[in-house]
Amino acid sequence: MTPKEKERLIRRIWIVITYAVLITFALVYLMPFIRSLVASFMTWAQASAYPPEWVPNPFTLENYQKLFRLDLFPRWIRNTALYAGLIVAGNVLFTSMAGYAFARLKFPGKDVIFSALLSLLMIPMFVTLVPNYIIMYKLGLIDNIFGLALLGIVNVSSIFLMRQYFTSLSNEIFEAARLDGCGPIKAFFYIAMPLAKPALGAVAVYQFLGSWNAFIGPLIFLRSPENFTLPVGLSFAFQRSMWTEYTPIIAGSLVASAPTILLFLVLNRYLIRGIVITGGKG
Amino acid sequence: MFSSFSSFYEKARNKEIVAGLTLISIAVILNLVFGYFAMFFAFYLSFFKWDYIGEMQFVGLQNFEIVIRDLIRGLHGAPYLLVPFYTGLKNILLYTLIVVPIQTFLAIVLASFANQKIRGQQFFKVSYFLPATTSSVIVALIFIWLFMKNGYINYVLAHVIPGFEPVDWINNKDYLLFAIATVAIWGTSGHFMVSFLAAMQAIPREIYEAAMLDGAGPIRRFFFITIPMLRPMITYVVVMGLIGALQMFDLAWIMAGANGGPGGAGYTVALDIYNEAFTRIRPGVAAAKSWFLFAIIFTTTYLFQKKYGRAMR
Repeated sequence: MTPKEKERLIRRIWIVITYAVLITFALVYLMPFIRSLVASFMTWAQASAYPPEWVPNPFTLENYQKLFRLDLFPRWIRNTALYAGLIVAGNVLFTSMAGYAFARLKFPGKDVIFSALLSLLMIPMFVTLVPNYIIMYKLGLIDNIFGLALLGIVNVSSIFLMRQYFTSLSNEIFEAARLDGCGPIKAFFYIAMPLAKPALGAVAVYQFLGSWNAFIGPLIFLRSPENFTLPVGLSFAFQRSMWTEYTPIIAGSLVASAPTILLFLVLNRYLIRGIVITGGKG
Repeated sequence: MFSSFSSFYEKARNKEIVAGLTLISIAVILNLVFGYFAMFFAFYLSFFKWDYIGEMQFVGLQNFEIVIRDLIRGLHGAPYLLVPFYTGLKNILLYTLIVVPIQTFLAIVLASFANQKIRGQQFFKVSYFLPATTSSVIVALIFIWLFMKNGYINYVLAHVIPGFEPVDWINNKDYLLFAIATVAIWGTSGHFMVSFLAAMQAIPREIYEAAMLDGAGPIRRFFFITIPMLRPMITYVVVMGLIGALQMFDLAWIMAGANGGPGGAGYTVALDIYNEAFTRIRPGVAAAKSWFLFAIIFTTTYLFQKKYGRAMR
């Protein structure tokens, strides 16, 4: 075997190992989703069979029908959508306003205020949780989705992301606008906002994922079952039906995660780029 | 109100100052109330005994004393029900010790396998990242079913590991925390893998080419080029992982229950803060415990950054 042949052989073995590892792990990461998708069309008797079965027999839509026969499940979907919508809208508007001001305008105390906001990122949410519960209680906003949304409507990491983006824009267009007599607020709405679409998109998607999946906040600030969001509702529905059937919970979990999964499948390139810029998972 | 503001704004001598302060006002007010005021209120609250309704009663350092007593009793081997904070702390440290290294290592390994000229890179990225887009509550609900005694995970393990006896993961105090850790690793490692992949693609090709000319194989290139070049990203991922793991709540709440499951094996500090504030109705003690949690997070991340973060700049 010549050295060249040997090198080619090693390269080929390495490629095989690479694919073996990557495919094995892809299966590990996807399996729970595939398994639950299949099981959501099974009866509980079949889904709990050992060894596991893979073909639904009989094929049943009973699990999904059960979910939507409950009055609460569609309500939870509506509540979650309302909560996520409020959070996304609030963050898109208010954090871009703040980000623009911190990046482009001069006003007294700018740097101090900005670093004061940033240092809030270091405080674990459990420190402010109990006081915020008390504040909300005093304001009469417990068990109110609008009250809950108020807590997350201006996220500091969104402000940071927007400020970074506005800082990276070139000066000239803002200079030109000013020379044409465009004031700073007008420049925000007519120049900065339209230019910031990619960053606004990242903030929106990022906040949507966070608020759709949020658990601790809704768990603490919402009290009555008809106001629950999907994660809280499902966790309580699960506790009540723990010893009977599990398949409706699996179907419910899939319905609840469908929007985020679809959003991710459609926007994954874009989202992954956004996550890479912002880093953490909120 | 709006028209009076706009006439004030139009007449203002320095529009930029007025505009700047106006545009940040909502962000500043909300963060002042729910961030700073809440933080100082938590500090204040930790010196008081209260039930949310009656008078607040100043008790000095008593709330902190309760926490320290709990820790000391725990160290002397008191049963877990009497020492909730100690139980939560012990579990969460073990959990962090399992989750953070494994998820970081797995993320690096998968990223470096995927960072080659291969087909389907996008497919692998999407597959690994998918768990991170799903709510941890839903993930936990699905995994409870997979972890059942006659569930899918036992079935797979029995076929992969010879002589493996099926385990009742969720209802056995020796395995519960490992089950939770497995779910956490599954849920977050793909997310960090994407971060690593981005960092790896920023490493200049020439360094690898030079090493290949010197005869360095893929494994040596991984240890002597990739790992050192990734150091800032590793620090970042570990710090984010520490912050997330030490505050773990959702998975334990679903998989173990608010009381921590069998033998308190799934009890965490975050669950204890929740119970203190909303079940035992002792917001002062909850505030004191949250300061302990803050101190633990702050010291661990600070120490880690001090030790390994130097190479960042």
